Amino acid sequence: MGEVIVITSGKGGVGKTTTTANVGTGLAKLDKKVVLIDTDIGLRNLDVVMGLENRIVYNLVDVIEGTCRIRNALIKDKRYPNLYLLPSAQTRDKNSVNPEQMIKLANELRDEFDYILMDCPAGIEQGFKNAIAGADRALVVTTPEVSAVRDADRIIGLLEANEMKQTQLIVNRIRMDMVKRGDMMSSDDVCEILAIELIGVVPDDENIVISTNQGEPLVGSDSLAGQAYMNICRRIIGEEVPFLDLKERSGIFGKLFGKRRRN
Amino acid sequence: MNNSVIIKGNKYGIVVVLNPDDDFEELKLVIAEKFKESSKFFENAKMAISFEGRKLSTIEQKEILDIIAENSDMQVICIVENDSEKEELFKKSLDQKLMELSSTSGQFYKGILRSGASLEFETSVVIIGDVNHGARVVSKGNIIVLGSLKGTVFAGACGNENAFVVALDMNPTQIRIADTIARSPDKPVKDAVKETKIAFLENGNIYIEPLSKDIIHDINL
Repeated sequence: MGEVIVITSGKGGVGKTTTTANVGTGLAKLDKKVVLIDTDIGLRNLDVVMGLENRIVYNLVDVIEGTCRIRNALIKDKRYPNLYLLPSAQTRDKNSVNPEQMIKLANELRDEFDYILMDCPAGIEQGFKNAIAGADRALVVTTPEVSAVRDADRIIGLLEANEMKQTQLIVNRIRMDMVKRGDMMSSDDVCEILAIELIGVVPDDENIVISTNQGEPLVGSDSLAGQAYMNICRRIIGEEVPFLDLKERSGIFGKLFGKRRRN
Repeated sequence: MNNSVIIKGNKYGIVVVLNPDDDFEELKLVIAEKFKESSKFFENAKMAISFEGRKLSTIEQKEILDIIAENSDMQVICIVENDSEKEELFKKSLDQKLMELSSTSGQFYKGILRSGASLEFETSVVIIGDVNHGARVVSKGNIIVLGSLKGTVFAGACGNENAFVVALDMNPTQIRIADTIARSPDKPVKDAVKETKIAFLENGNIYIEPLSKDIIHDINL
């Protein structure tokens, strides 16, 4: 029986889609059968980040409305045969789908897939309500800045009110040099405010920009962000993985010896 | 003389005692007669009325009032209920409400109040948890936060100027006691030591001070 995980944040631009793409690809690398669903109807971009936009024929709204079968709309990933994408519609809006339909879709997919990842749109209205319907677990993504944390707090409150069974936190785009100078919140500061279980800390990494533009998620690669995302995937499947020591790697010695040091 | 209807009264009101066993339609005729006879006695007095001896439905009471209006000039201003069940109910509601308004009682709330959440309480409240930025607590009484207070609080919401706010980590965005409002400084001051602080109203200003024995002594409930 598959697990439905929603990746949400409240604030836009903190890295939900990037996280969905990388976590999904990482789980596929760990030999799980994974499907990614883009629930951002109208402003879809999960397909772009995965590099699959030229393969789209049918989308989520087609499936919900019954225009096509799920099989027809799922797109197999370029690199991993056990990873699929269900893209969103660009010419419809978020009211084209309701939570009950999303629950039905998730239940149909549970039999076939180990993990169903829902990429949630920004905000707290219909798009959010659609994405969290039927989810077993929520991963809340935030960056260590005031406005993002405030929105994440609101989202966590809404998730609690909607009786989400498990809620975990990912702190994204952290810059240890700024944390050291006292110019940025540390992940501990964020955790103290949000008070939920931390499942991953991803450092700000320019490789992410490169990977997004090329449509190839970098999870599992040697870059810091790649390793951080892979650790998140391993924690999701139940392994106990210690957190990367990001502080030690930000000096020149870190760069020289970084590859040898495995935490 | 038919004693199925007896009228008792004083300057302010009358009691109509009805025989519980008689047929209601017959009683109505007797009532009409009695009031017609005594209409000179009552003239156009303004009276309260109460019924005894027989349980009447609201419709039956109305019918009797109509008969009185037809057969005399007396003006019935109100009906006084003798129902003991209703009396018990009123007493219970009244006691409960008074207790809520009383300043010596309160309630607990456990949990983190997250951004966007808003809670309102009739009584004082002790919050076992944090009040995050963007959350709001309103109480007619006092507010005590066993955690960090970063949101907005409004104590003494019905004008109670003795209300106070206590927090283990006092950093509210806005604080309001009765009709006075205060906001946090624009440049946040990082306190080296986290200590329990109390906010109270004095001379139209809100003061926030560490909770000391002297201040506790000065608290008025």
